[in-house]
Amino acid sequence: MRGFLTTPGLCLAFALAAAPMAASAADAVTVMADSCAGCHGTDGHSIGGMPAFSGKKADELKKVLHDFKSGAREATVMDRIAKAYSVEQLDAIADYFASRKK
Amino acid sequence: MTNISRRTFNGLLGAAGALTLAGGLSACSSGPRVVVVGGGFGGATAAKYLKRYDPTLDVTLIEAAPTHFTCPFSNTVVVGMNDMSYIERKFDKLTSMYGVKVFTDTVIAIDPATKVVKTAGGKTFEYDRLIVSPGIDFKWNAIEGYDAAAAEIMPHAWKAGPQTMLLKKQLEAMPNGGLVVIAPPGNPFRCPPGPYERASLIASYLKRNKPKSKLLILDAKDAFAKDKLFKEGWEKMYDDIIEWVPAAKNGKVSKVNAKDGTVETDFEKFKPAVANIIPPQSAGQIAISAGLADKSGFCPVDPNTFESTLAKNVHVIGDAAIAGDMPKSGYSASSQAKVCAAAIIALLKGEKPLPLSAINTCYSLVAPDYGISVAAVFQVKDGKIASVPGSGGVSPLGANYQFRKKEADFAAGWYQSICQDSWA
Repeated sequence: MRGFLTTPGLCLAFALAAAPMAASAADAVTVMADSCAGCHGTDGHSIGGMPAFSGKKADELKKVLHDFKSGAREATVMDRIAKAYSVEQLDAIADYFASRKK
Repeated sequence: MTNISRRTFNGLLGAAGALTLAGGLSACSSGPRVVVVGGGFGGATAAKYLKRYDPTLDVTLIEAAPTHFTCPFSNTVVVGMNDMSYIERKFDKLTSMYGVKVFTDTVIAIDPATKVVKTAGGKTFEYDRLIVSPGIDFKWNAIEGYDAAAAEIMPHAWKAGPQTMLLKKQLEAMPNGGLVVIAPPGNPFRCPPGPYERASLIASYLKRNKPKSKLLILDAKDAFAKDKLFKEGWEKMYDDIIEWVPAAKNGKVSKVNAKDGTVETDFEKFKPAVANIIPPQSAGQIAISAGLADKSGFCPVDPNTFESTLAKNVHVIGDAAIAGDMPKSGYSASSQAKVCAAAIIALLKGEKPLPLSAINTCYSLVAPDYGISVAAVFQVKDGKIASVPGSGGVSPLGANYQFRKKEADFAAGWYQSICQDSWA
């Protein structure tokens, strides 16, 4: 019980810290795009060797994704993944990541 | 016994709220209660994304261990490429960044009728929706003589932690010229390419450190994940070291005697220096005792929401779930967790859940600088999770060194990203 009593304090701290962080509603585009985050980091903020999306413009991301889908751009794995989505879906994913906090 | 009911929690919140920020606090954890059992890729990601999608939810994660050691990259620990700390994940950021309440305790009972979870520590948690993400447990004695005690002598190392270290120490202690046996189970099991990545990295270690040694894969199957790619790499690099014996050539291990150090198929008996026995598996014990598993030992679920078909308001994700074409992998579990989190939020609001959209991407190292991958995107077709036609698949055969090296580098990047996305 003792540990539990600290939770409201923690919750308060969280409310303050998290205030600027807009929650992303779990709509269809969000859920589809968030499945990319396993490789590219939450909101596209990759911390390792995987390409990050932060700071990228939507058009730039769209072009890359279209080229992966068509095969115009060389890839190790993204060609296999991009082919699963329609151009409209790829555009929606690009718009989603471009709109996330830098 | 401590009963952490909603009333208690709201009471505490109310007291704190009265002090200052009534408005700010009302948005914090005052909504429906979701309890998550298990802090691996599935459970941690589910807890985090529930709060990301709806910060008002009251999300509690219960995990038996104070930290989680990931199975992905545990093979690199076995052969000394990384330390245990490299695969250790903590839960503190789930609390500090997302407001998830984390308890280190073991869930011993789930009662879907009263929507209550009980722990070994004597706590009771009430829920509106429950996510069960317990991973796997082993079917002891499915291989005659292989039980929990035998695993202390012949490690499975299929749950990362002390078992990982045991296998590593045995490899270090074995003589040059010794025999290593790896015995992968039949399908389905956790991480289908994992035994073959392990064989590859151990062979790479033997080649460098104990070149007279041999590695025998005594398989319960005739085919395995990425098999053509593994075999291509083995021929190039480990032709003198690795021998794979499929079930059709009597590879299946039927019996072990841990005390004598022997491993038997129906026709042959071996006495390896190191025996890595990976036994057949089931959903984690709690899923079975809660009545969430069917005869297969795994848990049938709705393909869009991961709600159990055997218990209402209970969702099962990750290795424990029967998820159609999705393999039992960390990435699958994490991707399912996000779909499940969104579905739970919709169901709690009385809305129709979205159709599943999920991915699996996983890398295997055939050598420290030689990576291969498999990827797939999933949707629900005819009531079953299936990979999207015309997409996905494995790395190309016959690729050059640069391509394999790039995939090995991406493997490390993949690991860093998925751990960040799941626990931080």
